Amino acid sequence: MRRNKHLLLWSSLATLALLVTAAAQENVLRPWRRMQHAASVPIDVRLRQVVVPALGAADRCVSCHVGMATGEPTASGDPTLAPHPDVAHDPNTFGCTVCHGGQGRATDADDAHGWVHFWPAPMLPLRNADAGCGSCHTHLAVTHVERLREGQTLVERLDCLACHELDGRGGTTRPRSHVLDGPDLSRVGARGVPQHWYEEHLTQRTTNIDPAWATSFGPISESERATLEEFLASRVGAPKLVAAKSLFHSLGCRGCHRIGGVGGDDGPDLTLVGERDPGRTDFSHVRGEHTLANWFAEHFRAPATIVLGSRMPTLGLSEEEIELLTHYMLSLRRSDLPDAFWPTDRVRAERLGQREFATDGATLYGAFCAACHGTRGQGMRFAGMTPFPAVGSRDFLAIASDDFLRLTIEHGRPGRRMPAWGVMEGGLRPAEISAVIAHLRDLGEGTGCEPDGQPVRWAQGQVELGRTLFAQHCAPCHGKRGQGGEGLALANRALLAAATDTYLFESIRRGRRETTMPAFGASSAVRPTLSDREIESIVTFLRSFEVGP
Amino acid sequence: MTTATPPKPALRRFVENLRDAPRRVRDSALRSGKANTDRTRSTFVFDNVFLHVHPVRTHRWSLRWSSTWGLGIASLAAFGVTLVTGVLLMFYYKPHPSAAYDSIKDIVYVVPTGRFIRNIHRWAANVMVVTVLLHMARVFFTASYRAPREFNWLTGMALLAVTLGLSFTGYLLPWDQLAYWAITIGANIAQSPREVTDALGVTPSFDPGGLQKFLLLGSDVVGEEALIRFYLLHVMILPMALAALLAVHFWRIRKDGGLARPADVDQRVIDDTEATYPVFTQAPRKTYQIAALVRGRTAAVGRAPENTLPSMPHLFYAELAAAMLTVAVCVGLALLSDAPLKELANPAVPENPAKAPWYFLGLQELVSYSAFMGGIGIPAIVMVGLSLIPYLDRETAGTGEWFGGPGGGRVVAQAALVGLGAALAVEIFAIRFGWLREWIPDVAQLWITLFNPGTVLAAIYAAYSVWLVRRYDSTRTGALGLFTCFLCGFVLLTVVGTHFRGPNWHFYWSPADWPAH
Repeated sequence: MRRNKHLLLWSSLATLALLVTAAAQENVLRPWRRMQHAASVPIDVRLRQVVVPALGAADRCVSCHVGMATGEPTASGDPTLAPHPDVAHDPNTFGCTVCHGGQGRATDADDAHGWVHFWPAPMLPLRNADAGCGSCHTHLAVTHVERLREGQTLVERLDCLACHELDGRGGTTRPRSHVLDGPDLSRVGARGVPQHWYEEHLTQRTTNIDPAWATSFGPISESERATLEEFLASRVGAPKLVAAKSLFHSLGCRGCHRIGGVGGDDGPDLTLVGERDPGRTDFSHVRGEHTLANWFAEHFRAPATIVLGSRMPTLGLSEEEIELLTHYMLSLRRSDLPDAFWPTDRVRAERLGQREFATDGATLYGAFCAACHGTRGQGMRFAGMTPFPAVGSRDFLAIASDDFLRLTIEHGRPGRRMPAWGVMEGGLRPAEISAVIAHLRDLGEGTGCEPDGQPVRWAQGQVELGRTLFAQHCAPCHGKRGQGGEGLALANRALLAAATDTYLFESIRRGRRETTMPAFGASSAVRPTLSDREIESIVTFLRSFEVGP
Repeated sequence: MTTATPPKPALRRFVENLRDAPRRVRDSALRSGKANTDRTRSTFVFDNVFLHVHPVRTHRWSLRWSSTWGLGIASLAAFGVTLVTGVLLMFYYKPHPSAAYDSIKDIVYVVPTGRFIRNIHRWAANVMVVTVLLHMARVFFTASYRAPREFNWLTGMALLAVTLGLSFTGYLLPWDQLAYWAITIGANIAQSPREVTDALGVTPSFDPGGLQKFLLLGSDVVGEEALIRFYLLHVMILPMALAALLAVHFWRIRKDGGLARPADVDQRVIDDTEATYPVFTQAPRKTYQIAALVRGRTAAVGRAPENTLPSMPHLFYAELAAAMLTVAVCVGLALLSDAPLKELANPAVPENPAKAPWYFLGLQELVSYSAFMGGIGIPAIVMVGLSLIPYLDRETAGTGEWFGGPGGGRVVAQAALVGLGAALAVEIFAIRFGWLREWIPDVAQLWITLFNPGTVLAAIYAAYSVWLVRRYDSTRTGALGLFTCFLCGFVLLTVVGTHFRGPNWHFYWSPADWPAH
């Protein structure tokens, strides 16, 4: 009886104490309360949130980041309370998590930033903040990194920054009130570069009374204007993302990786790779912190050590390039938006079929071909793989007709690494393939292929002679049965179907300079020269690969 | 009263009545005033709608902590806690896949003390499962299921089933990955009769497993139908069923003569009168006997209440103490450890390993060998066996005593060793050497259904129990052995399933050794 009474008393008191502790902990001691109490300006201490039902956002981030909500006083002291930097989107219209990721409903720092188990979308690191644009935006017509660099150089050379601010630089050398204080160009591409900017500048130059106009602006050539406009169109307020996307599309990554239905299939589809859940990502071989950004960075340093058995070659990138590619990977995400929230670039890309990459030959070649064929078409060698052909070789381009190139690009080389790039496969449109072919001609310094007037098949040599000569001269590189080796596989029906007899004949006769394929028609000290008849016999023999093994 | 007091002015009467109002409210509520005499202590009990299921006097034997360890009351208290916290959670919870997860997040992050209430609810539910199981073990080991209490043993088993049902249905409601895949596993266990119907080739025409799963989920997969179904079961049907069964359970305790006691109980209990409230503090105006006739031999019938004490306050303090201790434990655990909440449920990304709630992990371990035997066969055998125990064991020796019966504690200790040893041996063997499928890849599934680690273990236990029956010439001893074995087996398999099984249900020494995703 007495023991029971004591037990009752003490367990009741314990329960009461625990309840009071919990009540205090849950209501009074919340970190966001302390944060608001600590503000230099007294602010109303309460839970704050940004609710955007259309986006499914209930973001309580502003309970700590009070200054980022509209109508709130700007309290100094803890930087957490600071207002949001100037951005295109009002945080009160869009919420926080739609751009930054993280867990909007949470009210504890770690939970809210998503640095906890079981939150699949942690906040993007601050240095990768504009990767969040990728959730809704598709930056269109991104150009080759060299075009971007040309534009940047031009801006510097023409001294645009004297009057204009651009990506946080320039425009500040003079007092703000000066007549020549031009508008900030950091986001000029988002609404489109004004059509008559050049004419207007010229008019100002002649009519404006300020003498500075006469000296600070001069005529610009048409090609430079085009470069400048292309560059300004890419200024959408996310310079790092544009640089990152541009770099990705210059290294030929899409030759193996598909994004949004366009690209090769040798590597994984990257369309949503930035949304990957770190909790479900294998970090067992990753040094450093277990964040997606670090995973990508480590992976770019040495792919096969992070994903065992990966065939992705080590690209030998600089740290800056690794950071940019990581940035682009993080931007590959896509949030489901109600129609009213769709930005125009996304409508254009997903509903109207506009490309996110520029469709000039150089950019297309950079995005889809450069990884294997080399940035200048010089061919590539990677450990453990057969060498990739030098498609920029002038010897090749001189005999490869546009039709041959088109067939090869559209249908690929079944049985080899070259994938098919037609609309149904790799996703390139006919006009884009034409642009790539034109760019190949440029790589070959304008080398064209003269039509020889011959029928497609004309070789009528002796098969047996051809067989003997093949075994003697060709088999060491191309394999006894034409299966390939150091040289490419000749027993490939797709190749033989696309190649004319002239193409095969001339390839053997002239060889390929700057590759290991010698010119068998030229005299040489180390091997006998083949006569035209002998070469024709080899071509005739090669044709026998078409009918059977 | 001849001198008539002059009538008071109405206003003064009003003031006096107002002053007396609190006392009168108390008196009218309690009817018989303060419980300070034997008579008022009795009326305190049977005048109270909530207490009248208790006897007015309770035997000293039943009041000893070691008789029950308060496990029944603890279960009830845990249920009460889940009830209160559950109703609070219902204010915010939204049972639809599009809103459920977010509403739990809101409860955790925004609702004042919401996280804490959710934690209490979760811990009280787990405490309830544990105390119900322990309560059952207590009743078994003290042989309290025997006549006339056989039926209450059955009611208790029904309560166990409803308790597990409540816990299981609550598991899905957060709609996170943990919930989603645990329920998927649970539903697949329900579907396990398919193993046999598939093997017999009759599934297209006769598919009780599929039907069971469909009834559970309202669909082929866990989806919104399953969620609303589980919600309804969790907040309405099962609590009501539990309340009804509880009423029967308590009423039968009373009608079956209170707690079971040894036949010679009166010689055993030492009368320590000093520590109790005095009996008969005033001359009774009326003799209060037990309020109803009860069947069978009970201490109270035809005897003076010498070894009994007034329930008010002795029993009620004991009950309140046990209940309050349970509440304190639930609240304390809730403060120490948060209820889990994983990512939003994603039907496209299975958890690996997907584990059922912990109390089903023993079954899941058996299911990994044979879905039918683990999911249906062995649980059914256990349930039927448990139900039959009071009807098979008609002995009287040892009733009301811990480990009562021939052999007693020695047999239980031995059985615990046998139970753990056999389970461990079978598990080690199966983990080390595999089973039929690894040895004979194209063996018919029916052979595995019949011969698997689960059935082997059950057979060992059964054989041991039969041996005990013959050795001690007592059904009770056999039952003691069998119950202990199954209890140990359950614990061991649950531990293996919880801690030592990783992705693809492979064996791992620790979750830290699991390969990365």
